Amino acid sequence: MSKIENLELLVVGGGPAGLSAALAAANYGIKVSLAEEREFLGGQLIKQTHRFFGSEKEYAGTRGIDILRKLIDEVNKNKNIEVLLSSRVLGIYEDNVVTILNDHKMKKYYPQSIIFATGASEKFLAFENNDLPGIFGAGAVQTLMNVYGVLPATNVLMIGSGNIGLIVSYQLLQAGVKVAAIVEAAPKIGGYSVHASKLRRLGVPILTSHTIKKAIGKEKVEGAVICELDSNWNEVKDTEQLIKCDAICLSVGLTPLVDLLKQRKVKTNYVSELGGYVPLRDENMETSIKNLFVAGDVSGIEEATAAMIEGQIAGLSVAKRIGKNNKREIEKRIEDAKNELELLRSGPVGKKIRKGLFKLGLNHGKNYNENFSEEALDISHLMKTGVPSEENLKNKLPSEEKVFDKGPIAISECFQRFPCDPCVKSCPFNAISENGNINNIPYVDFEKCTGCGICVSKCPGLAMFVVHKNFSETTSVVIMPYEFLPRPHRGEIVKVLDREGKYLCDGKVIRILDGKFQDKTAAVSIEIPKEYYLQARNFKVEE
Amino acid sequence: MDENKVIICRCEDVTLKEIRNAIREGFTTVEEIKRVTRSGMGPCQGKTCGLLIAKEISQMTGKPMEELELQNIRPPYGGITFEEVTKGTITENNK
Repeated sequence: MSKIENLELLVVGGGPAGLSAALAAANYGIKVSLAEEREFLGGQLIKQTHRFFGSEKEYAGTRGIDILRKLIDEVNKNKNIEVLLSSRVLGIYEDNVVTILNDHKMKKYYPQSIIFATGASEKFLAFENNDLPGIFGAGAVQTLMNVYGVLPATNVLMIGSGNIGLIVSYQLLQAGVKVAAIVEAAPKIGGYSVHASKLRRLGVPILTSHTIKKAIGKEKVEGAVICELDSNWNEVKDTEQLIKCDAICLSVGLTPLVDLLKQRKVKTNYVSELGGYVPLRDENMETSIKNLFVAGDVSGIEEATAAMIEGQIAGLSVAKRIGKNNKREIEKRIEDAKNELELLRSGPVGKKIRKGLFKLGLNHGKNYNENFSEEALDISHLMKTGVPSEENLKNKLPSEEKVFDKGPIAISECFQRFPCDPCVKSCPFNAISENGNINNIPYVDFEKCTGCGICVSKCPGLAMFVVHKNFSETTSVVIMPYEFLPRPHRGEIVKVLDREGKYLCDGKVIRILDGKFQDKTAAVSIEIPKEYYLQARNFKVEE
Repeated sequence: MDENKVIICRCEDVTLKEIRNAIREGFTTVEEIKRVTRSGMGPCQGKTCGLLIAKEISQMTGKPMEELELQNIRPPYGGITFEEVTKGTITENNK
């Protein structure tokens, strides 16, 4: 039998967590072998064309695909990392021998330590005819569109309003596909409100407290029957309605891919907040088996930013244990990474994660600052509909109407506490602040704001606008972010829409900023009748 | 809901009806249901059906999910050719 190769560190999975883990360890001299089952690196990042939330330190405001490029670049440059592509890890045995299938050969390895960054798989849903062709997982739809350039359908019904459901819906629209509706069984939207608002401004209905009953169609999906749910998640009588569509996209959550861990008999617990059966592990990402670490979604479903930091912690922990030098420096970096993670998870949207981690016996050393764990504003209406309430808006607009007289000013329509700061970091005048905690809602200091519009292109949630009320006697100008093709021409008349995607008025395009700096989120200035300056928040380019 | 038209295991085409029947017959772990229905034995190795079956068991028996386990998972994780297996063995014997 072929000989067994000794390794210092084997990282399984070439997604954000695995790449970060490999880099963190390799930078301290550890020899790393990174096994990825596909023929390319990247994991889910490869299809994430949207900008990331999170802190700027961890690439927030950058598109997933660009983050990936940076990571791959670093990995390829690093002499301590050997990348094994098209290499599926087939087994891990009790003596820690790992078998990898590469080039149709099963090779044996004996790593000193392993980091499993195997990610997650999509959950499936039980409903009638759920095996009809045309029923996709959201990940599949995203892969088809964004990796292979193939349109999945012409009119999609999205099931699930978590961030994936919302983001994939938006990307479907960008690709020219109609989204019939987004159906959500819970009474409130699962993902970030800014993503939901983006879709509502494009006229996509979001139906909370609704579920899919069955798919309709002979050879393939031709529609779906949905119905309303009451507060006990029971079907409300006589609320069935038929939605026409040619595809149903399921985005009902992810679950950690623990198959390899289970081979090695790593202990797992069912923790619904973290997506399903998750491995027990400590704060340094080490499982119940010594020298066997986890990072990213396999350790509990979270965002890619958290996955990258967890990867760093796991990689650094390995470096600290088997490396020869720099132990103190590594310890400091682990501490920093833990603090960063804690900050990311400290807001209201991190509540679920915190609860899940607590069930695993983890609190990351400290108690979270509960000041940031509640919403600052009542956003119940926003989270039900995707549209901010009058009350919400009032809170973010200038308290005095005359502030609008001074000239163009930035209006932030971000109402939910979640860890994100590109608007703050992008402002050259320090006019946007979130009071020292990345989880706070950003507020604009209208005294300092010059209405330059930089933030309009930088906000990953497309929630920044610039309003110039007194552009002329009778007109105002609103600068809006725009990520669709074709781009409007200067001088063109466009249909201006409100926050629910309803037609308001015609508007004239007077300026388009669409250079390298805007990075495909154009800032378009539209002149509109003055009475609409507080309502106009989107526009449609007529074909 | 027509339980016959709800697919739980897409690889092996096992319906909700078959899963519920199995639970009624007293098979109340995911591993047992895998053995009697073939659910989870297909190429996806239970990634689609595992959680759904666990939830169904939980609902029908009242046992919380925390007390249930997924099916056993053994190496190899994916398919390998017999040639690869036998080649290895022959070399070993000839050593």
